[in-house]
Formats: sequence, C-alpha cells, structure tokens
Amino acid sequence: MAEVTIENLRIDYPLYGSHRSLRKEFFERAAGGFISHERNGHRGRVVIKALEDVSLHLADGDRLALIGHNGAGKTTLLKAIAGIYEPVAGRVDVRGRVTPLFDTMPGLDVDDTGYENIVTAGLLLGLSRTEIEAAIPDIEQFSELGEYLSLPVRTYSAGMLTRLSFSVVTALDPGILLLDEGIATGDAEFSERAARRMDEFIGRSHILVLASHAEGLLQSLCNRAALMKSGRILKLGTVDEVLTAYHADIERAS
Amino acid sequence: MSSATGNARKARDDIVRGFRRWHIWGRLGWQEVKRRYRRTVLGPFWGAISIGAFVLVLGSIGSGLFNNSTADYLPFLAAGMVVWIMLSTMITEGCNLFIDGGHLYRQMRFDYSILAYALVWRTLIGFAHNFSVYVLCALIAAPALLLAPTLPLAAVGLALIAINGVWLALLLGIFCLRFRDVQQFVTSILQLALFATPVFWSPTVFHGDWRLIMVQLNPLYYFIEIVRAPLLGTIPAGSIYLWAVVITLAGWAMTYWVFRRFHARIAYWS
Repeated sequence: MAEVTIENLRIDYPLYGSHRSLRKEFFERAAGGFISHERNGHRGRVVIKALEDVSLHLADGDRLALIGHNGAGKTTLLKAIAGIYEPVAGRVDVRGRVTPLFDTMPGLDVDDTGYENIVTAGLLLGLSRTEIEAAIPDIEQFSELGEYLSLPVRTYSAGMLTRLSFSVVTALDPGILLLDEGIATGDAEFSERAARRMDEFIGRSHILVLASHAEGLLQSLCNRAALMKSGRILKLGTVDEVLTAYHADIERAS
Repeated sequence: MSSATGNARKARDDIVRGFRRWHIWGRLGWQEVKRRYRRTVLGPFWGAISIGAFVLVLGSIGSGLFNNSTADYLPFLAAGMVVWIMLSTMITEGCNLFIDGGHLYRQMRFDYSILAYALVWRTLIGFAHNFSVYVLCALIAAPALLLAPTLPLAAVGLALIAINGVWLALLLGIFCLRFRDVQQFVTSILQLALFATPVFWSPTVFHGDWRLIMVQLNPLYYFIEIVRAPLLGTIPAGSIYLWAVVITLAGWAMTYWVFRRFHARIAYWS
C-alpha cells in the first residue's frame, strides 16, 4: 500500500546573502554537508550539498533508522520524503499519506483554544471535519486536559502543550510516519502511558523513517538502518550492522 | 526527473487542489483576522474607523478643494478608499505571503496557493467591514445611492479583484521571498500610487496625454473603477471591463509561468 522510492536524489541548499568573507569561512570548515561553489556561466553561487546520489526503496512494514552525525543529511532526507523540498536532481516517489513530525502541531496558534488548534492541525494534516470530530474524544481522554481544552493554548504550561500536540498527532492515522529526533527522544518526558501510545502509533504506521541518536530506541523500533555521511547513504542493512559500521567510522576519525 | 511537463503539472495541481481545500484557506484566513483583533473591543472595525475618519476629514477638505458638492465627493471618496485599501492590502501582504507562511510549508507538503487564497479571503473579510464606511457616507451624503440598480455590478467587480488578488499575491510572494528588497520597493511605490491613482481626484480632471499617463496607464484605476462606478450608480465603460479582463488574463499567464518555473524553489528560498 505505502511505498517510498528514491532514485539518485540530490538536494542542495542555496546560500544567499553570504558575504565574500563568510563564503571563505564556510569553505574552510566543511562540517556537515559539502559547501561548493557552483559556476553557472559567470555567476557564482554558494550551495550546501545536503544530499547526493541517495537511492532508497521502502515498502509496507519497513522501519528505517537514519544514523549519522549532525549534518549528515538525515533531516533533509526526511523533508524530501515529506515533499517539503523538491529534488534538485533525481526522483522521490511517495505512495500513501505522509505524517511528518518535525516540530509541534502544525499551524499552532497560542491565542486559539486547545479545541481550535486541534481542528486547525487536523485540517492541515489532511483530515476532514468529521474525521477530526471523531478523533476529539480520544484526544480529550488521553491528554487529560479537561476544561483547559476550551482555554487559549497561551495559558498552558510547556508540559501541557506537549500533551496536547502528542495526543493530537498520535490520534491520527500515521500512514508513512517521518520522525525526527526531537520528538522521538522526547519520550523521557512522557509517562509510560505516552510511551505505550507512541509504540502503538508507530505500530499502526505503514512505513516509519526515524532519525535519532538514541541507539536503544532505534534498535527497539527499527528493522532496517541507513548510515548517512556527508549527504550520502554509505551503508544499508540491519540496525546492528549499521550501528557497528557507525562506531567503526567514529573510531577511525578519532 | 523533473521535466518541464512535470513542473507544469505540479504548478497546476497546486493551484487547483489548493482552491479545493477551501476549508483550510477559509480557516487560515478567518483565524488571521481573529488573531489580529483579539482582545480588542471593536475588532476589525478599528480599520473601518480609521478609514472613516480619514474619509470624513479629507471629504470635507476635498469637496472645497476640488469644487465638488459634498453629496458627490464624499461617496466618491469613500468608495474609492475602501477599494484602494483592499488592493493595497493584497499587494503589501502578498509580498509577505511566503515569508510569513514558512511555518506551514516547511513542516509538511503544502499547496502554496492555499496561502494566496487565504490572503484574498481575509482581505475580503476586511473589505466587508470597511464597506460600512461607504454605507455611512452614502447615508449622510446621498442615501439614494444605496438603492442604485447598478449595485450587482459592484459584486462582479469585487469578484474580478479577488481573482486578480490570487495571482498578484503568488507573484509578489515569490519575488519578495527570493529578493527581499522587492518588498521595500513595492511598499514605497504603493504610498505614491495612492496619490497618482484617481482615488482622491476624479479621472475626468485630466485630459489628453495627462489622462493617458495618470489614468489609463495605471492598472489600479481599472480595478477601482469596476467597483466604485457601480456603487455610485453608473455602469463602467466597456473599455474598463476590457482592460480589467486583459490584466487578469495577462497577470495569470505571467504568474503561471513564474510559479511553474520556481514552484520547486520556494521551500529552498525561505
């Protein structure tokens, strides 16, 4: 049902408004992606090569862990699968509904009430009004926010806001679930109940792509892994194989 | 591979699918209106009050200055101003379309046109509030205007403005996202344009070449006139509709070309 096909994907981020001196500085310390100086005729353009020649195929039941240093291209790959960034070269073909979880609830407005934000987020994530109405009792029950749901989100504590977004997002049908480490490692804050709900939510997803540095989490949730470095996939395999390769790479570097 | 036909399809899908998601742009537009006036007592009528004060003061001065009777000048000025405010809001906020909308399209796949529809929708909501200024001025100066048989034509003019607002917002939004200077440029031009467009003065004051330069070469004039003239009980000349339609088609063609070409770059430029 759900399927992700990526062929020779390349993504460059253009760097605008950078001073000559800043450009120089960027060239010298090439942490993360490669910064290159593209020459289009006489016009020089500084780009950061975020992904290069990435190919990947994911089908139903795949739970892929993205492993790599900061700036290796994990988040960019997630955003390319989400359809936020169009390929500069190559192809990304996604079949199925995508749920990207990078930040808090989409369209969050702190002056709106909890209920209003639930509707906005639901609509933005592609649900109909009736589907949202149907999900509300579950959200009410799980978030335990009670009457606070009728108050502006501005009045919530940070923990209550987390409860709200978590309850909303996990009440949906995940389809192809894209998780960035922020949310995935946030589970320390959640109660055991939340952790169970997250497991169940991930279980319902057709495909999971998870970028994280929490190795225990990756091992427990994923059945495949990709080692990323400087915008390329160096190795695809089981989580254990890829983690071994990742550690070997760290040791070689030190 | 991203081919030319693929880009054309993506741009067209964005515009069509975005329009069908009226429940999203309807909500985004409405929430924006609510957000701006939250915890104010008068809400969007603050806009109407400031326009109303402006129109009353300038109306009193202007009717002397231009040797008009207040009965003629006040409704003329009020109608022109409320339409002008709508046009200038679409233009200035169109510049911010993709700069402000980043929190939406950088979190998920998002049809960019939704932002343009939401902008036009909330501008229309603003117009509905500001329109009370015109109604009030007409009541004071010439109540018969409120029953003019040409009023339905004003709605047609409004619809034409809305259709143009969408391409205008998309086009300006793309340019201002990539070249951040454009916004400053547009804002300062727009201030001058208020004086250079027949809003305070009647288009009939100029003749010959001056009329050509000040009135007929000014695209904003046609869009003011297709709403203002019917409100004031006259049917706009056929040539005015003709130009409004020509601008609509040319604007959409140009925007479609730009949108198709740069659709894939918007997320990168933000």
